[in-house]
Amino acid sequence: MKNALKTLSFFRNVVFLKWASQVVFLVGLLYIIWSYIQNAVVNLEQTNIAFSWGWLGETPGVSIAEGMYTLPNSGRQMIQVGMLNMLRVTVTGIFAATFLGTFLGIARLSKNYIVEKTSTGLLEVVRNVPLLVQIFFFQAFVLTFPRLEVFDVGTYNLHVSAKGIAFPWLNRQPTAYLFWVYLVAILILANKIYKWRVQILEREGRETRPFLWSVGIFFGLLVAGWYGGYRVMGVIGFLAGYISTGVDLLPAIFYQILFSSVAVFIGFRSTKKFIDSKKSEEAQGIYSDDDYFKIILNVVVVLLVVVLMFSSVGLGLSNFLVGDEIVFKADWGVPQFFDGVNNKLYWNPEAKIVLEAELDGMKKAEIVDWIAVPGTEVTKGDVVAIVTAKDLKGDLNQEISINAKYTGVIEEVFVSNGDTIKIKDKTYDIRVTDSKPLELSRPKVEQIGTTKFKRYAEGFGKSLSVGYFAIWLGVVLYTAIFISEVVRAGIMAVSKGQSEAGLSLGLGRGALLRLVVLPQAIRVMLPPMGNQYLNLAKNTSLGIAVAYPEIVAVGQTLYNQEGQTLPVFLIWMAFYSTVSLTISTIINYYNRKMKIVER
Amino acid sequence: MSIIQTKDVKKWFGDFQALKGITMDVAEGEVLVVCGPSGSGKSTFIRCINRLEQHQEGQIIVDGIELTNDLKNIEAIRSEVGMVFQSFNLFPHLTVMQNITLAQIWVRKKNRAESEEKAMELLERVGIPEQAQKFPGQLSGGQQQRVAIARALAMEPKIMLFDEPTSALDPEMIKEVLDVMKELAKSGMTMIVVTHEMGFAKEVADRVMLFDEGMLVEENTPEEFFNNPKSDRTKLFLSQIL
Amino acid sequence: MVDLIKKNAKSLQESLFSSVGSAVLTIATTYLVINFFRGMLGFALTSDKDWLAVLNNMQLYMVQAYPEEDFIRVWLSVGLTFVLAGLSIGIWRSDDRVKSSQVFNSFFKGGLGVLFFTIIAPTNASFMGNDGSVITEEVFSMDTRLGILIPVAVFCVIFFSIRFINVKFTVNSSDMVFFYLFIPVALLWFVKLPTIQLDQNNERIIPDPVMPIADTTKIPWTVIFVSFLVSYFIGMYLKSIKSIKSIMSLSWFLLPLLIFSWIFKKPQIDMSVVLGSDLPIFGVFLLWGFLVITFVNNSIFKKYYSTYLGVTFLLTLVGVFSGLPMLAKTCLLLIALFSVVVPAVSTSSQGKRSLLIVWAVALVTLTFLLRGGASDTGIVVPGSSIFGGFSLTWLLAIFGTYVSFPLGVLLALGRNSKLPIIRIVCTGIIELTRSVPYITWLFFASVTLAVFLPAGVEFNLIVRVLMVTAFFSGAYFAENIRGGLQSIPKGQYEAADAIGMSPFQKISLIIMPQALRAVIPTLVSSAITAFKDSSLVTIIGLFDFLTIGKTVIGNQSIPVNFVGHDRENLIFVAIVYWIFTFTLSRRSMKVEKKLGLGER
Repeated sequence: MKNALKTLSFFRNVVFLKWASQVVFLVGLLYIIWSYIQNAVVNLEQTNIAFSWGWLGETPGVSIAEGMYTLPNSGRQMIQVGMLNMLRVTVTGIFAATFLGTFLGIARLSKNYIVEKTSTGLLEVVRNVPLLVQIFFFQAFVLTFPRLEVFDVGTYNLHVSAKGIAFPWLNRQPTAYLFWVYLVAILILANKIYKWRVQILEREGRETRPFLWSVGIFFGLLVAGWYGGYRVMGVIGFLAGYISTGVDLLPAIFYQILFSSVAVFIGFRSTKKFIDSKKSEEAQGIYSDDDYFKIILNVVVVLLVVVLMFSSVGLGLSNFLVGDEIVFKADWGVPQFFDGVNNKLYWNPEAKIVLEAELDGMKKAEIVDWIAVPGTEVTKGDVVAIVTAKDLKGDLNQEISINAKYTGVIEEVFVSNGDTIKIKDKTYDIRVTDSKPLELSRPKVEQIGTTKFKRYAEGFGKSLSVGYFAIWLGVVLYTAIFISEVVRAGIMAVSKGQSEAGLSLGLGRGALLRLVVLPQAIRVMLPPMGNQYLNLAKNTSLGIAVAYPEIVAVGQTLYNQEGQTLPVFLIWMAFYSTVSLTISTIINYYNRKMKIVER
Repeated sequence: MSIIQTKDVKKWFGDFQALKGITMDVAEGEVLVVCGPSGSGKSTFIRCINRLEQHQEGQIIVDGIELTNDLKNIEAIRSEVGMVFQSFNLFPHLTVMQNITLAQIWVRKKNRAESEEKAMELLERVGIPEQAQKFPGQLSGGQQQRVAIARALAMEPKIMLFDEPTSALDPEMIKEVLDVMKELAKSGMTMIVVTHEMGFAKEVADRVMLFDEGMLVEENTPEEFFNNPKSDRTKLFLSQIL
Repeated sequence: MVDLIKKNAKSLQESLFSSVGSAVLTIATTYLVINFFRGMLGFALTSDKDWLAVLNNMQLYMVQAYPEEDFIRVWLSVGLTFVLAGLSIGIWRSDDRVKSSQVFNSFFKGGLGVLFFTIIAPTNASFMGNDGSVITEEVFSMDTRLGILIPVAVFCVIFFSIRFINVKFTVNSSDMVFFYLFIPVALLWFVKLPTIQLDQNNERIIPDPVMPIADTTKIPWTVIFVSFLVSYFIGMYLKSIKSIKSIMSLSWFLLPLLIFSWIFKKPQIDMSVVLGSDLPIFGVFLLWGFLVITFVNNSIFKKYYSTYLGVTFLLTLVGVFSGLPMLAKTCLLLIALFSVVVPAVSTSSQGKRSLLIVWAVALVTLTFLLRGGASDTGIVVPGSSIFGGFSLTWLLAIFGTYVSFPLGVLLALGRNSKLPIIRIVCTGIIELTRSVPYITWLFFASVTLAVFLPAGVEFNLIVRVLMVTAFFSGAYFAENIRGGLQSIPKGQYEAADAIGMSPFQKISLIIMPQALRAVIPTLVSSAITAFKDSSLVTIIGLFDFLTIGKTVIGNQSIPVNFVGHDRENLIFVAIVYWIFTFTLSRRSMKVEKKLGLGER
């Protein structure tokens, strides 16, 4: 072989040609990219809008129609609102679309003529009309209702106006977080109990009623939890608080080194493993050109990670974790999350008042005077405290009175005099926590101050804005239709023979579906289902067409303000990639799990 | 003069060594039958001869051209070596006629009329001229394999490689393929045949080889191979297969 | 007849009331469906809807502000499409015959449908006024109901009882197309519709007077129908010509190019450019092609053939990125590909002659189309483009597919390549493109793309949209095609290698045809998605079909008052989109079935 290589002219060598053509391709591509970037630099210089991320920290001076903060104090916060709004549609939409889609898919397999034709008809209509047209139609449907101003102030059961749709809803109380955690915990517990009972059944061969046991215990715990038992979950708050403090303690350089060494370690180990496999007795250390390429690629990737870690990117990341720039980290909600968990999951949350108030551009506030002390009975709307709010520079600005949001007895004052607090909304409320985590309430139309305008009162029922309603219904219906096709195909993929085999074993209809058909069908359904979820996540971007402030709409508003189109585009790309990656990771996880079950 | 020469050919698939130094040569016009248990490297070996697999060590010289990374050499050898696969590998989107004329037109640069004439001639030789306008999917396995042989012959190769040509066929179809191969052998074509058909080996082969675990265990004339094998491994193999 | 009813009743009972649960479901669904249709009918008929907002704006919907004096160009485009369709139907005329009973049955069923809607239509419907009060009014009087019910019932009875008389004949299924098209064209001459008329004060006369349809609508459609019919017969006559089917396919491919570059565009041709640049380029490449065809199989030339090919490809690469005229660039690309094909075909003098004809025709077509495309338009309309409304939607859909499909093929091949760098790059491009929604790419086209272009280079927004669409749909096409590539067994590659094919031949002759055939259904559904997605350009402010319905008509206030009539227009837009996508998906299902039969 070596002999041959000597006599072989390089331009006829397959290996040489292979790599030469690729290198030429890569260099050409890089040149094209580089020249376009050069163009961009020149063009941006001419228009005086140099590429920068500075606007992330500046106050954008625009308001957002709905979301966590309606008057964001930085570009970062504004983007955060957009992301959350997008996720709100995506997450609820995925659940709703799956539910509706499964239902429609089964309906399409029904032997009942009318049910089958109706669902097929719906499918053909929704599938063949552009989603945007549907969303516009839903928007137009709500917008042609009269303006909210023509309706009387008061409480309604169901209310539709050009401002949106409102209906009764279980509204969260401050301790609802704790209750959700509790719910997840008892769900897991119920599942474990089921498995435990099945184990006994299999071991001892006696009827142990696993289903009855798990459901019984679940509902027992649910009732106990509803009446206060959920508070045991408060322990998580302590732990989260300690973790947060721990992360803050170490210096930024520590994280840079940590991440770099992890990258080096992983890279080194995989390369070593690869080389070892080549060193084995039989392979005799012979490398093909592809093998060399793999090793080089490994090294390049590791080097890239290390360089990135010690560049401004890594520094930013580390600072973010350390919380050096407290505002920076705070804007992304990280400390609030930990502290929030700490506060809200307090061991005995009932005995507490949570003060949540915010004012535009204000970061800090001091409580000057408490009017209500523990033991006082307050009714909704009573002034319970007076607070001075300071802006970031610390100038004393304004005194605000704080109203109670719920009727009840104040048992303990949580925020003590002089504490710094966040100012959040124009209603400065002290929330008196109720023992129940959720409260059913009906929508209410109220006057905005002394103006002639009206709105749906916050915290009363649930009101959906026109944009949210249109985009949510649009993507849910559209995705559900495609999911119904997936479900139908999945069930049909399970051969008739499987059902017949199950029936001949004496399994009942329910057991047949649960034990034979569904496990096989779900395995077929999962990957296409994941694709539909990805489509749903991407389709939420149409919210911009109906003025729903999701990430694309917010991004557009931002670049109209700042002229920074390129960074906004990069943010979009990063965010959507993250969401897509998360969804596909979850789907892949279940997919693998199902495959193991299959074996 | 030998038309194929190999010297100490070695080949690895990852950790697994498929060929552990094969040295042999084939004379022009010779019919060589290669047998051996599955996984013994016999298919890998003949696939190395026309570079469907790449050997990592040793030398393979076909018709005076050494198989190296040289682009021209690979092209030259491939157009001189015809190959017939176990799973036929006919092109399902083309008719039988198009399957046979394709390479003549595009590789040999013949014109259509000429290549169609050649194709009909070959189809008659393999005994299925009436199937010319059908698609491979409409033919039986035996007919498909005969088309595959015709396709390979259309390139006018000096050497034909057969990679278990009958093992995917029903018993009644094996004969029709073997008949074509016998006819081909008699016409003086150099052939290397990987097969389990011992009857074919006895009748047609000039030499028989046994591969086991990537090594050439025995190389002998058919009479000696079947009646008086040298190695115990061959005896064991024959006792299992006959 | 009694037996028939009994049999139907029994099967109905089995399918609808087999069990209590099924019966409950049946009743619940029926209730829902009937109420849904009642609601829709009530919605459509109440007096606060102004359907003239749709009817009166057809011109806007189709061509936006295209000048009326050039409407002949629009009609010519539509007419050409119909002529080509007629020819194709004639050439591909199927031998399937439809039985008379099937035809009568479909009439009967259609009649039943009308009866159903007439019966369930609500007498009174209500809507919410501006002050939040509910207004109820009569929308469907008993007289109207009976006036429809009785004739339709008679119609139904006739077509139901016809099956008991021995009237049996069959109709060719292709002929039925003309029958279905004849009905609307004939109706144009008889139907009278409410029309918007203005009085002396330039105000809309209410109620709208009922008038026959304008001559400017019905005469062109009638002419088109007649030419459609004539071309159908011509097509049947042409059927026997050998290569007619490939010529027709090519014509379908070229028709949109012709329409958009010459007919619709009304190019202002600068003769000095034609003579000074186009003709010389044309001549040079004609000569080049001629030389290649003549000498390619000459023994001396053959020796240097690969050198020639290398030089040509290098020239092409340099030329494409240089400042040459568009025509020269395209011709270079074409001659490079042409040179690859030539040696195989140009072996006989007959082959040489036909090659020369093909080359000349291709060059003429290319020069003709590019000149039309590159020239200034003679059409003056407000806005960024002469295309608007449905013609823009078509433009985006067709050219989106034209450019993205080849790109998709290339990306799929790259992602499937054995060469690691190319594979990584192609995978990166595909995944990055797909990770972000289409609308962000449209924003990229409308605001960011300009930043990356060299100073002085400016593209029309539509061109920029087409550029990003090429990548976006291309990435989706690539993923579909990759699925097809993965379904090709390894043996096919090996067989192609074994008979000595070059990689290029292997891919283009063996792998791609099979891979594409395997994924036709997914490709069609991707194309449908691309068609539906073209509506997104409304968000970046292009005047496509949806924008007209959603924004433009909703802003017409004087003298007509169409403000607030979004829903009527959106329903119309939805119906039009629905008709196109539904027909397309149904057609593709049929083609898929046919292919499946042919292959196995």
